[in-house]
Amino acid sequence: MTPRRTPRSFAAFPLPALALLALALVVGRATPLRAQGVLVAPQAVFMDHRTRAGAIELYNPGTEPAEVSISTLFGYPVTDSSGVTTLYTSAAPDPDAPSAAGWVQAFPRRLKLAPGQRQTVRLMARPPQNLPDGEYWTRLVIEASGGRVDVGGADSTSIQVGLLLKVRTVIALLYRKGGVSTGVALSNLRANVVGDSVAVRMRLAREGNAAYLGQVHAALLDARGREARSFAAPMAVYYALEPRYSLPVAGLAPGRYTLALRVDTSRDDITTAGVLAGRAVRDTVSVVVPPRR
Amino acid sequence: MPPTLRSLLVAALLAAAPALHAQGRPLRADGVRGLTFGTVFPGIQVPVPASDAARSAQFDISGVKNSSIQITLLLPSQLTGAGTTIPLTFGAADGGYSLTGSTAGLMPFDPRVPLTTVLSNSGRGTVFLGGTLVPPNSQRAGSYVGTITITVAPLSL
Repeated sequence: MTPRRTPRSFAAFPLPALALLALALVVGRATPLRAQGVLVAPQAVFMDHRTRAGAIELYNPGTEPAEVSISTLFGYPVTDSSGVTTLYTSAAPDPDAPSAAGWVQAFPRRLKLAPGQRQTVRLMARPPQNLPDGEYWTRLVIEASGGRVDVGGADSTSIQVGLLLKVRTVIALLYRKGGVSTGVALSNLRANVVGDSVAVRMRLAREGNAAYLGQVHAALLDARGREARSFAAPMAVYYALEPRYSLPVAGLAPGRYTLALRVDTSRDDITTAGVLAGRAVRDTVSVVVPPRR
Repeated sequence: MPPTLRSLLVAALLAAAPALHAQGRPLRADGVRGLTFGTVFPGIQVPVPASDAARSAQFDISGVKNSSIQITLLLPSQLTGAGTTIPLTFGAADGGYSLTGSTAGLMPFDPRVPLTTVLSNSGRGTVFLGGTLVPPNSQRAGSYVGTITITVAPLSL
């Protein structure tokens, strides 16, 4: 943290400075930022080697024009040692990485969206010759900057500050060629009470040659098999994940419970054409909720 | 391939692009309110906490319910203008995340590092951002600007 300075006493300022500061008190204003991101749909684009084409739609819901640029960046979700998921990205991916970032292009790559305007951006792939069958990935980075910074003007005796906002929305693009399949292996499921939650960890390893876009369903069952808590969360396994989920235990009676976990490819947020069906996997583990202290 | 033929091929491929269908809820991030420092005096720091509902910056995010997202803020270390700069600092507790859109009960986070979080069961989340403007005693009058960049990436795709 930056140490705070003690404000100077007004008596320490010479008279001209006082006059200037008085003026600043009257007219000096910080300026709010005025910008909005653009709405991007869909959240994931699926392209295939047959058409080599795709599209996204942009919409400016704001009241100011927005300048938009579209770029590509190789990346996919990973987890760290504590189970937190982050987005790994690389501007220079390994040559062996299944990156489509270098050969997917947007048309146009730069545009200006008026308030309320919609525009379709076409995507086209120019993959290298002899591209092996499989799935190739990139992220589309849609950057929107808009609005204006109201600073300056006629007054030159005060300090005026303004902040401009840029909003980057990152979506997934998956390019499929030839036979692609996916699956997931579930292992090392464990659950234990940490504080006021049941912490659920597992290892998910992708099978096949395409990302596993699915959902984790978990239910905490009491001794009679009744569902006491549950959650469902979408997730994507590109290589392997060891995510961490939490279920609140507040209000649960102490005792032994069973955590039942299922991972499947049910997704209602992506098109059926984008979903690669894979077999569901299940596992259970016991967890004891201790008496409250 | 001749340029004309290539252009025709590109046009044909673009025309063959699949129709855009609605897929779940689109991801959206909006800047609702800027970071407001009020009147600025030379030599007087202006701290704005994330929990300040009137002066902290606010960004609303919407997307798929209960989905995991990563939020990254690119923050300026100074504002520039008038041939000079004003330092702007961000501390470990200058970020706040809310599932309700309120500054009450904010989950604090360090805005200088990426945040992994989830959207609410209605697909919403709100980021509040504070910071401290540090004008030196010699700060010249004038207009100063900076840019805050917020990056929102879904982690379930």
